Amino acid sequence: MTYAFLLDMSRCIGCEACVVACKSGNQLPVDRQYIKLIEHTSGTFPDLTGGFQNHRCYHCADAACVAVCPTGALFKEDGLTRLNRDACSGCGYCVQSCPYEIPVMSDGRSSKCDACASNVGAGGSPWCVTTCPAQALKYGDRDEILAEAKERVAALKDRYPKAQVYGETQAGGLGLILVLPDDPETLDIPADPPATPVVVDAWKEVVQPLSMGATVLAAAGAGVLGIIARRNHMAELREVDDEKKAGVTSGDAGSEEVGT
Amino acid sequence: MLDNMAKAIRVHVDVSGPGTGPGDEVATRRGSSIDGSIRVARVQLEITRRQFLAAGVAGTALLGTGMGPGRSNMAMNYPDPPWFTEGEVVTTYNYCDMCPWKCGIAVQTVNGQVMKIDGNSLDPKSRGMLCGRGQAGVSFMNDPDRLQSPMIRTGERGEGKFREVSWEEALDYTAEKILAIKDTYGPEALAIFGHTTGDFWFTDYFAQAWGTPNAAKPSSSLCLSPRDEASTLTLGFPVGGHEPMDWDEIECVTLIGSHIGEDSRNTVMQDFIESRSRGAQVIVVDPRFSSAAAKADYWLPIKPGTDTALLLAWINVLVTEDRFDRAYIDQWATGLDELTTHIQEFTPEWAAGITDLSAEQIRTTARVMSDRLPQAAIMPGRHVTWYGNDSQRMRAVFILNSLLGVYGRHGGMYFNKSPFLEPYPHPPFAVTGSSGGCSAEPGEESAELPLGPTGKARADGARETFLRGPTAMQELIDPMITDDPYRIAGLMIYGVNLLNSIPIPSRTIEALKKLDFVLAVDVLPQEHVAWADVVFPEATFLERYDELSTVPYKTPFIQMREPAVPPMYDTMPGWMMARELGLRVGLDAYFKWETIEEYLDIRLRSVGSSLEKMHDAGGVIIQDGKPYLEDFVADGESPFHTASGKIDLSVAELAEAGLDAIPVYEPTEEPPDGYYRLLYGRNPLHTFAKTQNTPVLSDVSPENELWINEDEATALGYVSGDKVWLENDNGDRSGPIAIKATQRIRKDAVFMAHGFGQNAEGLTLANGRGASDTKLMSRYKLDPISGGAGMRINFVRLVEGG
Repeated sequence: MTYAFLLDMSRCIGCEACVVACKSGNQLPVDRQYIKLIEHTSGTFPDLTGGFQNHRCYHCADAACVAVCPTGALFKEDGLTRLNRDACSGCGYCVQSCPYEIPVMSDGRSSKCDACASNVGAGGSPWCVTTCPAQALKYGDRDEILAEAKERVAALKDRYPKAQVYGETQAGGLGLILVLPDDPETLDIPADPPATPVVVDAWKEVVQPLSMGATVLAAAGAGVLGIIARRNHMAELREVDDEKKAGVTSGDAGSEEVGT
Repeated sequence: MLDNMAKAIRVHVDVSGPGTGPGDEVATRRGSSIDGSIRVARVQLEITRRQFLAAGVAGTALLGTGMGPGRSNMAMNYPDPPWFTEGEVVTTYNYCDMCPWKCGIAVQTVNGQVMKIDGNSLDPKSRGMLCGRGQAGVSFMNDPDRLQSPMIRTGERGEGKFREVSWEEALDYTAEKILAIKDTYGPEALAIFGHTTGDFWFTDYFAQAWGTPNAAKPSSSLCLSPRDEASTLTLGFPVGGHEPMDWDEIECVTLIGSHIGEDSRNTVMQDFIESRSRGAQVIVVDPRFSSAAAKADYWLPIKPGTDTALLLAWINVLVTEDRFDRAYIDQWATGLDELTTHIQEFTPEWAAGITDLSAEQIRTTARVMSDRLPQAAIMPGRHVTWYGNDSQRMRAVFILNSLLGVYGRHGGMYFNKSPFLEPYPHPPFAVTGSSGGCSAEPGEESAELPLGPTGKARADGARETFLRGPTAMQELIDPMITDDPYRIAGLMIYGVNLLNSIPIPSRTIEALKKLDFVLAVDVLPQEHVAWADVVFPEATFLERYDELSTVPYKTPFIQMREPAVPPMYDTMPGWMMARELGLRVGLDAYFKWETIEEYLDIRLRSVGSSLEKMHDAGGVIIQDGKPYLEDFVADGESPFHTASGKIDLSVAELAEAGLDAIPVYEPTEEPPDGYYRLLYGRNPLHTFAKTQNTPVLSDVSPENELWINEDEATALGYVSGDKVWLENDNGDRSGPIAIKATQRIRKDAVFMAHGFGQNAEGLTLANGRGASDTKLMSRYKLDPISGGAGMRINFVRLVEGG
């Protein structure tokens, strides 16, 4: 089952109830928020438009943070990007790789929205979804969420000719699907977030397996070398034996081998 | 000893406070500074004290790693395991106290610790949702700066030096002092100020039993009075707590000076967004591109102080273009002829020059509204005390709404109805109260002012400097200084941040010095608490029962408050304080009930319920309303309780008092050169001057900002983030405050969220953060109809340094 959030930015009025509900329900410490609201304004007085960017995890299907995480602390589950902080090594690769700049380090470990895994698991709803007074947030089956997003965009076209769904295909498909009244750039959201960087891809797809392979090779090589060395050693020992039987004394060869 | 240790540690602590709940996590000791270490210790001490109080176990692990039952290492998931798996989740019902709106909430408690608050899905105000302030209720309760013990002053008044005493001593001493005032001057000499959702016991019940007409709430004359008096004069009833817009079917919403979204009232945000999403047109009139303006179909960036001109021009368009609901007016209103004659000169062209809008904008928006009548209404708004002529401006709003035919119509404005619930039977009160308030029951205004036991009416100048309405709090300050019309010798302050609410705070300080006795009842050491003689620390809304909340509404309803946990520290619920004091001052006849549960059960019996039944039914009782004209016609009644039984477009009572029977435009003073008009309003995560110290809210929203037009800022050499001080034209200063240079505001005004810039040493997080609009108010203008204090007539300039 693949789940997703719907966030309807035509409704969001920037009240930050979601920010506090999340902090409260998840018992986040001082200086930690999984959601930040950032006000945006376009134009000059009095010809203005504006809204609130909801800076929160987009739960990418092709999550860069999952790709780079060396310990598997970040992983995908049900379409959402989870975080097991117990397994986090504090390397910070996720912070560097996220195209939306979401994860931050807190208490030396990565920190970000995990879509209220335990709350939903216990039969509840993400805290932000429950509280939103503008009913801008929903959570459910991704196909249904996407269908609803498209219906809402269609209904918004009169008022917002540039209304669009954001998240159908970005980053392989997002787990946070936005209904945007305008182009994503007006809220500082990248229209097409950079694909997981080649370096990261290379790291994950090539170097990591390669280094794993190299390790295997090295181990195998060491094994082969060991076999060869022993065979040589045994051959030399037999040589010494033969020479002894033939009455030959070869002091150097004998002492070197012993020292090996 | 624990307290002393806590205080000792607190002295060295930096300004960051703990997080939101008992599982608070703080910076680890990895590479932390000494400050960090002390902060860790402080929070752990706090957690341990809570366990100590909850479990009665001696808190020996003061500086250890004791984080609470089931808590694992700080570096785990937040939290691990989750709090709702740690024990049985117990739900109690309550009405939120984080603002006076009183959303019904469901409170979840585990192992004796309150963990989470959410909206109660059955409650018609919250409907299961909740704003950011409501979500911070647990943090408010756990604020380590809370008042913990009754105290009596030791130093000079204002020094903030107290000794902790028992409740016995604090109550006996208070009783002695107020009885002395009563004996010397009469009971009217005790003024009682109150706000928040527990004020009933002091401003209403105790005040009336005791016999003082000088009980006041800031929500009257510092907020709503002009609106409710204008409504009563026009329609025969006040707006009441819940602005009765018929949101489900409305087609055009006009906001004038209303910033929904920053004013984060839960229900209104829900209703506004739903209506708009359904397709209703939105017109916003505001000098600032607010969150609501960003959602408008038409934004009118009006020049501050000129709103009445716009309203008159809108009325002009509707009348002269015959675009009003004539049939409705013919049936339900008087005064059309007078209005028609009066309005001719107030054309859009006339208004354009005054308002800095175009005549076309004015005509277009008038037509957008009238095209949709009666499903088009102007929101009455909330805080309307702007310029001192505010009752007349609100009269224009209600005249316009009447022309749109909204009252009692589907999709317009329905009629509120109060729920039925018998009061607790008590002997007649010594005086009828007039404190009013934002969620108060609509009361009757009597022609003669009620007199106290020694024959004195209220001292606020009612009937002399202003015509009608509830007791005007700010007008009781001068009598405390001048003894005119008579001496006010004592003041009880319940939950009002006195020095951050009433304009001209220097005058309030002068009054505090002259009083014989000052009692502060509060949860926190707010700025004025340092000026008290006695301090009663209150248990928060999560720790107590309280009077039932009765809400006039489309479907009137009753809400309950039941404690989730017992009172923390040595605090007491307000009802208990009122009772204990009442028993000591000869008011036992009013406090015959032994327990609050008895009081509440007796009241609930009148609707066939009880505390237990109400809890089992989900915490709310909902009754039938009477929202539309047809409901009244069917009963042969008029919903309009004016003398005429109809809507009065022209009000004779005003003419008789020498005031305008129909509003005219009165210009307001302009800012001097180099100064800006100081506008103030709300921040979505804060309530007045109440929440700035609440840890989780201070964490996300620690300070206010000064909104100033970007071009103005550039010309002055400032960019966003620069810190400045503000100085008004009287030389008063407040700051520092960070600049927000923005295109979202006109060039002639600056704006800030109210409630910051507090000077209260006991408030670790709020002290000294941001600037205070109140401290920059050296003047206000008294509204001659309602006694409201027009506060937007203060002008500031940006200066360096303090």
